[in-house]
Amino acid sequence: MTAAFLLAAVVLLGTGSVASAAARTFRAGLAVQAAGAALVGAAGFWALAAGTTAGSAFSSSFTPHFGIDGLTAFFLGMLGLVAAPTLAFASRYLDADLRGRLTACLTGAFVLTLAEVLCARDPLTFLAGWELMTLLPAALILIGRSDDAARHSVFLYIAVTHLAGAGTWIAILLAAHAGVLDGTHVLARGSGLQIAIALAALAGMGTKAGVMPLHSWLPRAHPIAPAPVSALMSGVMIKVAIYGLVRVLVDWLGVLPLWFGVLVLALGALSAVGGVVYALFQHDLKRLLAFHSIENVGIIVLGLGACLLLRARGADMWAALALAAALLHTLNHAVFKSLLFLGAGAFERAVGSLELDRLGGLLRRMPWTGGAFLVGSLAIAGVPPLNGFASEWLTLQALVHVPFYGGLGDGLAGAIALAALAATAALAVFCFVKVVGLVLLGPPRRPSVADATEVAVPMRAAVVGLAAVCVLLGVVPGLLIASLARLAPWPVAMQTTLALHLPGTGSLPTIGIAIVLGVLGSAFFLLRGRRVAAPAPTWVCGQLVQPQLAWTSAGFTKPLRLVLEAVLRPQREIAVRTAGGVVQEVSYSGRVPHLIEERLYAPIVRSGLVAARHARRLQTGRLGTYVGYLIALVLVLLAAAKAGVIG
Amino acid sequence: MSAASFVSATVELVGGLLLAPLLPGLVQHWKARLQGRRGPSPLQPYRELRRLWGKSAVDPAGSGIVYRWAPAVVASSLAAAVLLVPVAGRASGLGIGRDMLVLAGLLALARFAVTAASWDVANGFSLMGASRDLTIAVSTEATLALALVVGALVSGTTSLTGMVAGTAGTGVWSNPALALGAAAFALVVVAETGRQPIDNPDTHLELTMIHEGPLLEYAGRDLAFLQWAAAVRHWVVLVLAAQIFLPHTRSVWGQLAVLPFALVVLCAALALMETLSAKMRILLAPRLLALGGVAALLGVASWLVQLT
Repeated sequence: MTAAFLLAAVVLLGTGSVASAAARTFRAGLAVQAAGAALVGAAGFWALAAGTTAGSAFSSSFTPHFGIDGLTAFFLGMLGLVAAPTLAFASRYLDADLRGRLTACLTGAFVLTLAEVLCARDPLTFLAGWELMTLLPAALILIGRSDDAARHSVFLYIAVTHLAGAGTWIAILLAAHAGVLDGTHVLARGSGLQIAIALAALAGMGTKAGVMPLHSWLPRAHPIAPAPVSALMSGVMIKVAIYGLVRVLVDWLGVLPLWFGVLVLALGALSAVGGVVYALFQHDLKRLLAFHSIENVGIIVLGLGACLLLRARGADMWAALALAAALLHTLNHAVFKSLLFLGAGAFERAVGSLELDRLGGLLRRMPWTGGAFLVGSLAIAGVPPLNGFASEWLTLQALVHVPFYGGLGDGLAGAIALAALAATAALAVFCFVKVVGLVLLGPPRRPSVADATEVAVPMRAAVVGLAAVCVLLGVVPGLLIASLARLAPWPVAMQTTLALHLPGTGSLPTIGIAIVLGVLGSAFFLLRGRRVAAPAPTWVCGQLVQPQLAWTSAGFTKPLRLVLEAVLRPQREIAVRTAGGVVQEVSYSGRVPHLIEERLYAPIVRSGLVAARHARRLQTGRLGTYVGYLIALVLVLLAAAKAGVIG
Repeated sequence: MSAASFVSATVELVGGLLLAPLLPGLVQHWKARLQGRRGPSPLQPYRELRRLWGKSAVDPAGSGIVYRWAPAVVASSLAAAVLLVPVAGRASGLGIGRDMLVLAGLLALARFAVTAASWDVANGFSLMGASRDLTIAVSTEATLALALVVGALVSGTTSLTGMVAGTAGTGVWSNPALALGAAAFALVVVAETGRQPIDNPDTHLELTMIHEGPLLEYAGRDLAFLQWAAAVRHWVVLVLAAQIFLPHTRSVWGQLAVLPFALVVLCAALALMETLSAKMRILLAPRLLALGGVAALLGVASWLVQLT
């Protein structure tokens, strides 16, 4: 049944892709693609709820196998939930010119590739899909933009994901070789092979997910893609990497040693705090959103780390809940991040550039898109009663329960991670107050923003639909929690309830909170009455309100920049030009450098270039030397064979 | 519903929703006395609320829906926080659970609303206060979470009622974990109530405002909601301080009977603190709060060491 649905969806996606490549059937093709994606989502959630598995199980052989189980079904559901509105949005966002048609066609292929990675049941299919999943967005970016900056970013994206991505190959091939894929063999806890697979997966899949410090491709590649592609990359592609991590670390490797869980927690905390801190100091909306993806992947990885630690301590129930927290945040982030990227795309369509300091007042001019963007901002900031809060609450609970069950070392790690997540939540509020303020509120900061008008209906419908999902997942997250906890490979007894009533907590009755906030809020608003004094200008201590007085992104975040000065090392230059003792001109420039790139990447790149220069000496261009190399190689191999090292 | 839980629910609602303005009133009253002034009566906040209730609201030119809704959102999230924070160890839930982490979420919602509203009116002074408030909130929230984790570890649950019951007795004197948690929570109390040395509630200079800054444009009932919400914030954190981090009895009736005195003592302590300390440099406040977070971490560590 599910398999039939999926096959139909694949056919729809395929024909839609082909149709959207032709100018006459461009929009119809994208609509068919969206229908196919919706079918994928429905089939995924259906299979998750019913607990059905279909197709073959994992095998270590090299013949293609496909199948679905609970974890795959959940991620397929997420893919469909995000891709359907995204493709509907793309039908109006993209023009029917050659670029637009190619983008539409490849976007459908991208969705199919993501589904293929999720359904792959043998190493080769998985790895092929994994590589295609990296290359297709690169092609999509280059179709849209071919300037030098974009090409450089794409080069970096491919270089970083391939260098570190080798870890994925090592992990999958080692796991296949060890026979853990089909469950014929269980690795001993703490054995060298288990650790090697785990570390390789963490490096390879962590890079693809954007875990710090391997994230540097993400804030480069995500912002320059067309909005629907950005939404799919941030919303789903990095989540497929999370799928890989869960599959390897939780599903295949059995119980991992404590220190590995602490390592995962540390990486998660670094990504969460680092991602949001650097997001705060961005001045371009899409780049800011890309840094927020790093933050949210950090939160997901924190849940995963808590799961590994709790499992190592034998707290199976809370380990499963920690896994559920990570998966729920994965879904929530997919929904609100694609909403925010699509909203950004709509704004870009309406006003041109997305430089934060030059927007403003869009909530009034584009009420539908702006309202949905506001809901998405509240959701990503993690405030009740929206979905971001529910999954952050569950992740925090999982982290609180790490010291409950742990010893000194892992308990303290859990407590520190908890503090990091709490600080991250506060920083996310800071960041999205800034975004909402600069984009949606206040006076428009340039003429084209003042004349902005609402975008086409399908684009509006896509963002409003995603905003509705944000509210729905915030009000009834309990519907998913039990099925997500049951995805853990160890037995878990959990009932499906609407609210989150969990032992050892004060429970999160999401419906009750939503009702209390809604009813009281409306009551207070009605009590405010209609008596309003005549409109007065804003109070700025008696000055006239002038556009020059408008606050900027840099101004709003300055206190934090100063507080974190010792860590962030911001650079600022003030040049004052005086003539005849009178100041003629003051110029100011400030920026927050990306420390990980300057301290970690730059030395590696430099030494790599130096090594390449030395290696170039080997390449003389003279035939005799090359023959010499070959003879030397043969001699070395013969000597090695003689000594019994090889052969 | 037993008599004890009925009475505690009543105390919680009446105290949190109606009597909360007494708390800042008491602090101001005693502060004046300590500074050698006669000062306003403790009922002054009620008089201010009544006066504001009769005045008309002001919508500055260019303000929109976010500005207009913010006071209602702030008031409703603080009212929800009252429903969340129990006054005794066996109070039954009031529909929104009793979880400590939900409290952090509700406070974040209030902060989001009021700081976004200052972008809506695009007032530079409001935004100055808002950005400082948000900066300080980062370390406040981390410290709040860690301090509450200490209480949760000691009582084995993150439910606030469970924590009130689980920390009963005089453990705070003998147990280093609770003592360190109490020290951290004291800093959270000062930050959340906007008192010196973090913030100065009496300031009338826009340049130095933190919590007051985003309120600059509001008038009439809007301002009444926001001031009431600030008073409720006092209630929420002081009740938590009294029932988790101060010694309290095990019996529910005893807890209810002692609570008013504990609140009075805490208000007096805040007044004394306000008198003795000057406002610190804004950029140093996060460090002070982070110090509290480190203290709470040491508390967690000491509890984990005790177990092993």
